[in-house]
Amino acid sequence: MEIPLIKMEDIHKWFDRTYALRGVNFEIYKGEVVGLIGSNGAGKSTLIKILSGVFPPSKGRIFYHDEEIEIKTPKDAIDLGIETVHQDYSLVGERNVAQNIFLGRELVRSAGFIKVLDTQKMEEVASQKVRELGLNISSPTQEVRFLSGGERQGIAIARAMLFKATLVILDEPTTALSVKGCRQVLDFISQLKKNDIACIFIDHNIGRIFPLADRFVVMSHGQIIENVLREDTSVEEIEDLLVSC
Amino acid sequence: MNSKKLKLFFVDNMIWVILLGVFLFFGIIKPRTFLTFQNVHFILYVSSMMGFLVFAETICLLSGNFDLSIGEIAGFSAMVTAVITVKSGLPGYLGIILVVLIGGLCGAFNGLLVGKIRLNPFLVTLGTSIMFDWLTMVVRRGSVLGLPAVYLAPGGARVFGVYLAIFILLGFAILLAFVLAKTIWGSNLYSVGGNIEATRRCGINTDKVVFSAFVVAGMLAGISGLLYTGYMGVATSNLADGTVFMAFAGAVIGGVSLTGGRGSILNALGGTLLLGIIEAGLTMMAIDPAWQGTFTGVLVLVAILLNQSRQILRDRILMGEM
Repeated sequence: MEIPLIKMEDIHKWFDRTYALRGVNFEIYKGEVVGLIGSNGAGKSTLIKILSGVFPPSKGRIFYHDEEIEIKTPKDAIDLGIETVHQDYSLVGERNVAQNIFLGRELVRSAGFIKVLDTQKMEEVASQKVRELGLNISSPTQEVRFLSGGERQGIAIARAMLFKATLVILDEPTTALSVKGCRQVLDFISQLKKNDIACIFIDHNIGRIFPLADRFVVMSHGQIIENVLREDTSVEEIEDLLVSC
Repeated sequence: MNSKKLKLFFVDNMIWVILLGVFLFFGIIKPRTFLTFQNVHFILYVSSMMGFLVFAETICLLSGNFDLSIGEIAGFSAMVTAVITVKSGLPGYLGIILVVLIGGLCGAFNGLLVGKIRLNPFLVTLGTSIMFDWLTMVVRRGSVLGLPAVYLAPGGARVFGVYLAIFILLGFAILLAFVLAKTIWGSNLYSVGGNIEATRRCGINTDKVVFSAFVVAGMLAGISGLLYTGYMGVATSNLADGTVFMAFAGAVIGGVSLTGGRGSILNALGGTLLLGIIEAGLTMMAIDPAWQGTFTGVLVLVAILLNQSRQILRDRILMGEM
């Protein structure tokens, strides 16, 4: 039997008197694409923030390849190969493409007795990666704030792919994107799958993400109310479920 | 260099063009006194003390914070070091190390409250500026005389006829520019100032970056205190008082963003020198000190407007609209 890449067991999260998650059990396997669905306040974002180290769970256990782990900070998550593309907080607008891709993992070279940034190498690698992803970015020195929404998501995904992530979490990656931008992001998700990288993505548009996901996990009021393979369900069924909860 | 890069280069380094223009303006009005080696030398010399405070403020601003206490840190660290040095007979070179360390410790106190406990930098540094100001009075009211020559040398001695303070200022400007552009710490500082949450979510310990920014700012303020002491030949309890807003002005005139993540040390140096040139020019024109102060205030406003328009220009160039 295949061991899950990540397994979350009986996860609870509360903020003061507000319960955000109530005993969630969630798992994802290598190369699997999971669509995490639910209305606002269902607990989707809380769940992925726990996985990406934004905050720890109030109670519960997390396993990585069957080994119990703690994810206390974003660095813990990154060290495990968990990359998260947050809706608003993935990139530093004032920094350029290469600087954003290598943010927190800059390449350095020795210059005498000190280590200095290897800017040229980072720009070369960033250029190559954005080309591979088919992004239309003229230069790796372009400031990220001038890119379109789709291109920004692409940069964040390029970062995830470059550093050999094992799991990429995309929090509403197509929100506020143009049709072209949405298509780009969906193409990126396909590429993650081809590279055997597991992916969790949150999106409100079921019809758009349905063909991409292997499995759907539906959340409501801090709990998982449905966990179903794509071949066993339909867009209409999931939409009905969302309406009823 | 293509046309877009050339335009960007011009906009990014506009301060040096303004500086040249202002220098020529005063040079035309007072050619005999202003356009002399002695005058340029003196402008550079008096700018060196303020320059370190501008650098300190620049580091804080780049990290998305600011420090209202740098002037008081300069005064406090200089006074404490002076008292210890004179009372204990500490060698001058150890006094130089001590003044930087005390400045760094004061900065660490700010950094702890802002970076680790996450209190508002305005309120924290407002409080510590009052605290350090009065602590200086607690340590000694008045002046401390009899400081070792070695201790006074950075701020007062000359090398080949040129004040040592000028070499120290230029050396630190190059060093800081290198650190900001070429090291991971510099890169993290810009990223934290640009978007602290995105930087944190990339696994960077942002608390540590902010803390270190305040420590470095404190150390630079300590060096400023050292230079002021050398300049005057004594440590006084009102040393560097009221300099914080000029330090802000120097940084902002040099193009450092008040919202963080943007700016350069070398342009901040340009801002410092511009302030020095204007002060010297107005003094030579025998303008009433009250009007000089008023003019300086107007200059700060103009600087903010300039900074705003420079940002708009820069964005338009990058978006291909110019």
